[in-house]
Amino acid sequence: MQTGLKVTNLCKRFGGIVVADAIDLDVPAGRIVGLIGPNGAGKTSFFNLVSGVVAPDAGQVMLDGEDVTGLKMAERARRGLARTWQNLRLFPSLSVLDNLLIGTRDYPGERLSRLALQSGRIARDETQDRLKALDVLERIGLAGIAHTDIVNVPYGQQKLIGVARALMNDPRCLLLDEPMAGVEGQAYRTLQSVVRGLAASGVAVCVVEHNVAFIRDLCNEGVFMFAGKVLARGDVESLVADPRLTELYFGT
Amino acid sequence: MEYFYTVVILMALYVILAASFNFVIGYGGLVSIAHPVFYAIGAYASALLARDMGVPVILAILAGGLIALLASVALALSSLRVSGDYLLIGSIGFQLGTLEVIKNLHWTGGAGGLSNIPSFLTQTLGPQAYVAFAVAVAMCTVLLLRWIAHGPYGRAMSAMRDDELAFAALGRNAMVMKITIFALGSGLAGLAGGIYAHYFRFIAPGQFDLLQSSALLTMVVVGGLRSTWGPIVGAIALEALPQAITFINLPPSVLGPLQGILFTSLVLIFMFVRPQGLIAASARWRGRQEEAR
Ligand SMILES: Nc1ncnc2c1ncn2[C@@H]1O[C@H](COP(=O)(O)OP(=O)(O)OP(=O)(O)O)[C@@H](O)[C@H]1O
Ligand SMILES: [Mg+2]
Repeated sequence: MQTGLKVTNLCKRFGGIVVADAIDLDVPAGRIVGLIGPNGAGKTSFFNLVSGVVAPDAGQVMLDGEDVTGLKMAERARRGLARTWQNLRLFPSLSVLDNLLIGTRDYPGERLSRLALQSGRIARDETQDRLKALDVLERIGLAGIAHTDIVNVPYGQQKLIGVARALMNDPRCLLLDEPMAGVEGQAYRTLQSVVRGLAASGVAVCVVEHNVAFIRDLCNEGVFMFAGKVLARGDVESLVADPRLTELYFGT
Repeated sequence: MEYFYTVVILMALYVILAASFNFVIGYGGLVSIAHPVFYAIGAYASALLARDMGVPVILAILAGGLIALLASVALALSSLRVSGDYLLIGSIGFQLGTLEVIKNLHWTGGAGGLSNIPSFLTQTLGPQAYVAFAVAVAMCTVLLLRWIAHGPYGRAMSAMRDDELAFAALGRNAMVMKITIFALGSGLAGLAGGIYAHYFRFIAPGQFDLLQSSALLTMVVVGGLRSTWGPIVGAIALEALPQAITFINLPPSVLGPLQGILFTSLVLIFMFVRPQGLIAASARWRGRQEEAR
């Protein structure tokens, strides 16, 4: 069932800080939902709760009709939930290509026993994943640096590689945490077209971004978060135009 | 000649121990000091199976490795669940506790040690055969670990060491991977234990104490963490060195402290002058295909 992501009554507090206050939010398959709100609103925390990095105090996370609330983050990823990180979290001792290879939903060489008993099959799967990774890099405009060490790649491109690594999952739901911060020029358009293509193929996409222009260009609708609460939902234009929200966003 | 064989066998055993320890702490990033205790478990299990239960020696050696492996899984399961840092604490307890148990049981020979361990190959084919056996196992160990580290599994180990959270969020099972690495490394140490026991035919708890942990750590660090040949060079050099000094006819009262000073200064020198060890590993992971290119 392709229903996308559905979150109900999600609650989480860290000591006195409420980062998720009974959040109800759905991201339908094929839609791009932008998540906006000031620093500390709880946007990243929402992604952490949905992807299983942090366990909620209450509430439910459903992925395509399946309750994944009790699953570990690795199991959620293996069901097609992919995310990127605000602070990248790439693997510095690997090349660009190798970073992507780790992101496949089923990593061929993950089990030592399989490595010994089915080495031929693993070699074939690895070759296939390699081609897929090169294809993803091509789509995102970075095929030329596939074999570069990640530490030698400029920040803006690292940001795109974070997205590319998530794409290796063939996700059903993709969470992008500030994909545009530090990215400029051509990459802006590339990222837009890649995300649009994903949504067109039925992926549920949720994007956190401070770059309002990017959100307005890309998203079908926007959600405004503040202090762990969803305050408003609608088309991005009207959210941005709402003086009450603008005041919360910029503070007074 | 007898002496020469002994030294070569010890070198081969330390190569197995250092290479497998490097696999655990270098590649796996799992900080443990209990490596000598898995060596001990393999030695005792193999010796007892062969001596008291009549198991053929070669099977006993394999069983010793397997028992060490199972013991390591028990330790990893109990301590890694809490956190990665907990393994160090757990391993200290395991190291000290296991030796204490061996010292206090009568069927292990207690503190006095276990003797009359059945020999293997030496009496039938001669000591050269045992040397060949030990060296062959050491070579297989090194090649096996190298093959793992340079393939898809090695790529995943590197990623896990770099960022465990990102690794897990991509769908990878970091816990299973850590336990597997720890089990394989410890199992190989157990295998070395059996090979030791059936050559020297006498084992005692004192041979597997914390001094061994620090000697192994020195071999790996001086040789070069996370490189294939580093721990081998470290093992051979640090095993040969004390043997070499014994040739300078010094009284034992001087010899013992001298060896200690030598080890300590070597570690200090390397930490300051060449922290990457004799053989530096590449800062980044390089797989088989990449080397071929
Ligand atoms: N693990 C944690 N422990 C304690 N407090 C936390 C934790 N994670 C987040 N917080 C707090 O929760 C609040 C929300 O943080 P979060 O990172 O979700 O905000 P955000 O909307 O992503 O902000 P930004 O736009 O700056 O990225 C912050 O006050 C933060 O300090
Ligand atoms: Mg954030």
